[in-house]
Amino acid sequence: MRLSDASVVIRPRTTWEAMDLGVLLSQRHRRLLITSWAIVTLPIFALLTLLLWDSPSLAVFLFWWLKPVFDRLPLYILSKAMFGETPTLKQALRQWPRLLRPQLLASLTWRRLSLSRSFLMPVVQLEGLAGEERQQRLRVLLQRNAGAAQWLTIIGVHLETALWIGLMVLFYMLLPQQVELDWGWQTLITAATQDWRWLEHLTNTFYVLVLIVWEPIYVACGFSLYLNRRTRLEAWDIELVFRRLRQRLTSTVVTLLLAAILLVPTAPNVWAAEPVISPDSPRLLEQPLTSQASRDSIKAILDRPPFKNKETVTRYRFGEDKPASDTADDRQTPAWLKALFSLLDSQRFGVLASLIEVLLWGTVIGAIGLLIWRYRDWLQAFVNRRPTLNRKVARPLPQQAFGLDLNRETLPADIAASAESLWQSNPREALGLLYRALLSHLLHDFNMALKPADTEGEVLQRIEQLQQPALLAFSKNLTGHWQNMAYGHRLPPAHLQQELCDGWRALFGTGAVR
Amino acid sequence: MLETTALPGKATLAPPLDTRYHVETPEGIDLPLRPAGLMVRALAFAIDLGLRGLILGLLFMVLAFLGKLGAGLGSILLFVVSWWYMVLFEVLNQGRSPGKQWMGLRVVHDDGTPIGWSASLLRNLLRFVDMLPFGYFLGAISCLQHPTFKRLGDLAAGTLVIYREQPLTRPQLPDVPPRRAAFALTLTEQRAILGFAERQGELSEARANELASILAQPLQVSKPQAKAELNGIARGLLGPT
Repeated sequence: MRLSDASVVIRPRTTWEAMDLGVLLSQRHRRLLITSWAIVTLPIFALLTLLLWDSPSLAVFLFWWLKPVFDRLPLYILSKAMFGETPTLKQALRQWPRLLRPQLLASLTWRRLSLSRSFLMPVVQLEGLAGEERQQRLRVLLQRNAGAAQWLTIIGVHLETALWIGLMVLFYMLLPQQVELDWGWQTLITAATQDWRWLEHLTNTFYVLVLIVWEPIYVACGFSLYLNRRTRLEAWDIELVFRRLRQRLTSTVVTLLLAAILLVPTAPNVWAAEPVISPDSPRLLEQPLTSQASRDSIKAILDRPPFKNKETVTRYRFGEDKPASDTADDRQTPAWLKALFSLLDSQRFGVLASLIEVLLWGTVIGAIGLLIWRYRDWLQAFVNRRPTLNRKVARPLPQQAFGLDLNRETLPADIAASAESLWQSNPREALGLLYRALLSHLLHDFNMALKPADTEGEVLQRIEQLQQPALLAFSKNLTGHWQNMAYGHRLPPAHLQQELCDGWRALFGTGAVR
Repeated sequence: MLETTALPGKATLAPPLDTRYHVETPEGIDLPLRPAGLMVRALAFAIDLGLRGLILGLLFMVLAFLGKLGAGLGSILLFVVSWWYMVLFEVLNQGRSPGKQWMGLRVVHDDGTPIGWSASLLRNLLRFVDMLPFGYFLGAISCLQHPTFKRLGDLAAGTLVIYREQPLTRPQLPDVPPRRAAFALTLTEQRAILGFAERQGELSEARANELASILAQPLQVSKPQAKAELNGIARGLLGPT
């Protein structure tokens, strides 16, 4: 056994992970394990069945009891495959009789019902220990992982049963309907007394089929648990790295020596005609990894994802005719369920029950209503006949624009007069008042849809759409001066006061009220 | 971290088997996940099943006194417990139902991200396919044959049941004066030497000496002294603590 040849990553794992590794191990050698197991067990089962035709239960019991005999074959295959020497089917089968020899009687009698059977099997078969030595070994091994090994067997028993019943149910479900009519479950259960022997032998066969799939996995899980325990006990992973480290450190010395030898001038080479060397010619023939092997492995890698992604597309097409729809047979409610309901069916809580029923139905209807309301726009897009584009949106009038308050109530009664009086002391405020009043008028009297985000220029564009030249001219004038004032801090010329106030009066009347 | 047992020059076509599953993030980081197999998941499910049975049993006993009302409430309860127990626990409790929590498992998406509502609903709805025709027949077969142990529901929902990372306890190193190795060590080798020092309690005395004597020659010490030398190097690697 050389650890560096191990085909699994050696590392101390938790017990459950160790079992998972066993499953992976059995997956990798699935075909070999299953065929060898089937070849060994099926003839023996057939023989047992023929010999014990009249007592099918005894036949399957004997077969079950003989499991340790069969288990030795998968364990042998796995132990060989673990270190990269996977045997062929023929080799494995030829080895089987030899494997049976050590301690067969013990494993078939007092050790048969041990719950950690698969975990301890390698001690006898692979280490070849017996007697006191074996006992000592078991004590060490069972210090830690005994619980996991027992759980493995318990889970295995349940899984076997579940799969066995599953196969029977599958068989029952796949029966043609004509046959099924005659078979009630009652008749199936009472069938043991009648001449339904072949049926029992059939179910026994199902058990054998289940074991073909499951038992190699069980053995593999026990084996990997054993390996894991020894990895922990003997620190295999550390040994592996240490050996590699030693190899690395000593090989540097060897390389130096080799280099020294090669540098010594040697006799002239042979003059024979050398073969033409091209990139495709085989090279590196003297070492384990030849150029051909490396090229093959590169090709194999390049054929796999992510370099090449093969895809198989399967599509269904319409056949010639439809199969006749089969009638579903309605099942009768079992009697015990009825009895339970009638027991519960007293009048005491009738009112409360109906109340809750109403409540639940109310919840359902409410939920549906809520859903419709939630997706009403989406539904309208499909259901509504009128286009909803022209819908008027009642937009709230903005209260402010550019930080100016547009509310009518904040404006003075006579705007032109107050602007004139303000002009002397504070021209900025006077202009601001005028512009603010203009916006307020536009908003309230002309019903202009001003938005808080509009700029002065956009307001002017809207005024243009009103088609009133006098208003437009005044607005342009006022806006220009207001922008100069507000953003540029440039005072308007003095004559402007009169011009603007007169303009205002002309447009909105002398007593132009708010 | 990626570790392989095969020697670099001898890499065979089939990579060595491992129970780790690597997810590579867009940043190029390898996240090793450890998918959980059938056995531990079966136990976790059995715990969940028992817990649900207990809850339902207790509540049904109470509801049995309420007559028709009780039957109605009971059927609602049955619906909630059988269809939502797993989903609610998985989504709201970091992918752990009580059974999974007990066994140290959790459910995540294939890329290692926490499980969401749609994936959890899908994987739990498809439980009924996994149960066909009896007692998780299809689920068990699929779980045993899949390299990352997925049942059909996991395949459909793109989820993975993994072992949770358990908090580590600080290992005890033998008390020796720290030393420096005379040669450069790779990360794997440093870890192996640290592991050697940490796990000496589990190893027998003879085995520890045998392991250390592998490195006696490159360390240029006699075989009995190799163990102390390695422990010293491990101390040195660990640094001041």
